[in-house]
Amino acid sequence: MDPVNDGLPERLAAAMRELETRALQRSARVSAERVAARVEDRLRREGAVRSPRVWWLRPATLRVAAAVVLVVAAGWTVRLTHVAGPQAAVRLPVVIPAIDSLTTGQLESVLEAAGEVRAANFGPVLPSNGSLDSLSEQQLQMVLASL
Amino acid sequence: MGYPALAAEADGELIARYLAGDETAAGELVRRHTAALARYMAAQGAPPEELEDLTQEAFFKAFRALGSFRGGASFRTWLLAIGGNVLRDGRRRWRRRQVVELTPEIRDPSGDPAEHAEAGWTLRRLEEGIGKLARLQREVFMMRAQQGLEYAEIAAGLGISEGAARVHYHHAVKRLMAWIQ
Repeated sequence: MDPVNDGLPERLAAAMRELETRALQRSARVSAERVAARVEDRLRREGAVRSPRVWWLRPATLRVAAAVVLVVAAGWTVRLTHVAGPQAAVRLPVVIPAIDSLTTGQLESVLEAAGEVRAANFGPVLPSNGSLDSLSEQQLQMVLASL
Repeated sequence: MGYPALAAEADGELIARYLAGDETAAGELVRRHTAALARYMAAQGAPPEELEDLTQEAFFKAFRALGSFRGGASFRTWLLAIGGNVLRDGRRRWRRRQVVELTPEIRDPSGDPAEHAEAGWTLRRLEEGIGKLARLQREVFMMRAQQGLEYAEIAAGLGISEGAARVHYHHAVKRLMAWIQ
């Protein structure tokens, strides 16, 4: 026995020593060999759970999760088909990673494409010549907003 | 503390062997930790006639749950925590028939009878007090005061913070002192 009696008042420490003496006497009657034999036997009879697999990796749980994913995906597909329909907004078919790196010509092309998208959804924004110089501040803000 | 790091490492190997299907590793772990577990349960009021059954039950539960053992605490601390759960389940059952006489094993024929009576009373009150503590207070107190574990180890074994373990210990000492006065 090596109890940690730090901070224990003497009266309590003394009582703990008595308690420990009694616990030692009682536990000495417990046979480790006998307990080991009984535990091994019971594990063999009742089946040990050795797999460290967690509950969410059990086949039943995985089947339920897969079913939920399928139902949600199907729901979204139906919703998109019926709610958005053929009038769904045309998306800008380009991704601009860094607009600062574009040349003026490239930027004008992008803006022209954006204007087409905008026009398809909300009417024309850019003038027919597609020049940046001819855009008003409000038009420019609309173009940027459409990006 | 009586539980060297080398033994803890060897426990990990035994656990791995058991999980891989080696039955003998379970027996080895039982032999290694039976004395500490039985002592822990006996000090918390487990009746002597049930002590071996309770010890076996705690080991069985531990092996059934071994897949969830993550090694945050040592196997022994984790086992003691399971032992605490087993005790909690049996506590109501045996509390009713707990004998409150001074047992022969602690009776000493020498010395002042008044002193012995006083010591017997204090011991009985301590046992009662330990039984009346809240579960975490009791387990933290016993792991610290009886098993000599560090707060960090206790906290890992019981799934609480180290600060919480210190607070539980402090409250347990305070309540037990009031109980044995």
